[in-house]
Amino acid sequence: MTETIAILFIFFVLLLFGVIFYFRYQKIALQEKQEELLGTRAMESTLKTLFMSELICSRGEAEPEDNCFDVLKLNATQETMQKYLDEYYFEIFSYATITVQETYPENKTWILYDKQKPDFTRKEPTFFVVTLKDELAGDNQPEYGFGYVAVTVYS
Amino acid sequence: MISNLLKNDNRGQMEVIGLVIIVILIALGMLFMATFALQSEPQKKIFTRKGLAYSTMSALMKTTVSKDSACYSLSQGAPKIGGDVIEDCAKYRDVDISIYQCMGPYSGKALHSCAFLQEMITYSLDKTLGSWNKHYEFHSQLIPFQGEKPIDLIEPVMSEGCPKWKERDSSGLFPINTEAGLVENTLYLCD
Repeated sequence: MTETIAILFIFFVLLLFGVIFYFRYQKIALQEKQEELLGTRAMESTLKTLFMSELICSRGEAEPEDNCFDVLKLNATQETMQKYLDEYYFEIFSYATITVQETYPENKTWILYDKQKPDFTRKEPTFFVVTLKDELAGDNQPEYGFGYVAVTVYS
Repeated sequence: MISNLLKNDNRGQMEVIGLVIIVILIALGMLFMATFALQSEPQKKIFTRKGLAYSTMSALMKTTVSKDSACYSLSQGAPKIGGDVIEDCAKYRDVDISIYQCMGPYSGKALHSCAFLQEMITYSLDKTLGSWNKHYEFHSQLIPFQGEKPIDLIEPVMSEGCPKWKERDSSGLFPINTEAGLVENTLYLCD
C-alpha cells in the first residue's frame, strides 16, 4: 500500500512538473510567435520601402537600380509622405518609423515616415545599406553617396 | 504459499508500470527540450543578414568619391569605388604614386588609391554595420592571371571577423575586371 502511494506521489509530482513545463513552453512559444510576426512585418515594410517608386533610382523606362535612392525624390517624398501619412501611407506601413541616413559624403537625415504606436510594447528595427544618387552634385554625371535606411516597426 | 507468490507478482507488475510511466514522462520532457534546442534561426535574421551583406556591397561598389576629396580633376566625372578606384589601386599597387590621390575620410590627407580604398571601406563599414554591432569581414583580392594565387589588394577590413566555423552569409563575389587582373570583392556578415 505504502509503495503504491509513493509511486502515485512520484507520478503526480512528475505530472505537475510536466504541466508547469508545458505552460512555460507555451508562454515562450507565444512570445516567440509575436516576435516572429513583428519580424515579418519589419521585413515586409523594409522591402516595400526599398522598392518604392517614390524613392528608387530610375531612368526613364530602364530597369531601376537596386539598393539606390534618388536624393531629388527623397527631398520631395519627405514632404508628400508627411502630408498623406494618415490618408494613404498608414495603410502601407501601419505603425512604423522610416528614416534615411547619409553617411558619406555628408550626414543628412530624411525622416520619411513617423507614426509610433502610442503604447507600444515592442519595436523591431531593420537596417539596409543604400546608395544615394544625387543628379545635381556631379558635373557631368550623378554622384553616388553612401547611407542606410532604417525601418522600425511597433506592436 | 501460492497466494503469496501471486501477491508478489502483482506488486512487481505495478512497479514495472510505474517505472514505464516515469520513463515515458522523462522521454516527453527530453522531447520538449530537444524541440527548444533545435529551433531553427528566425527567418528574419537569415533574410536580413543575406540581404544586408549584398546591399552593403552593392552600395559600396556604386559609391563615388565626393568633390570634397579633390581627386577627380583628371577624369571625366567622380571616380567610382567599385571601378576607377579599385582599378587604379590594382594597377599602381607597387608604385608610390597612383592617378587618383583622394583625401581619406578619416585622415583628411591625399592618399594613394590603395590607402584611400582601405580608409574609405573601413569608414563606410564602420558607420553602418559597425554602428549596429554587426561582425563583418571584407576582402578585396587581385587574381593577376588565371590560376595564379590571389593577392590581397588591401588589408582585410573586419570587425571581430567572420571565421568559416561561424554562421555567416556572404554578399557573393563582386568581380571587377582591371588591366592588372580580376579583382574579387567579398563581404562576410555574421552576428
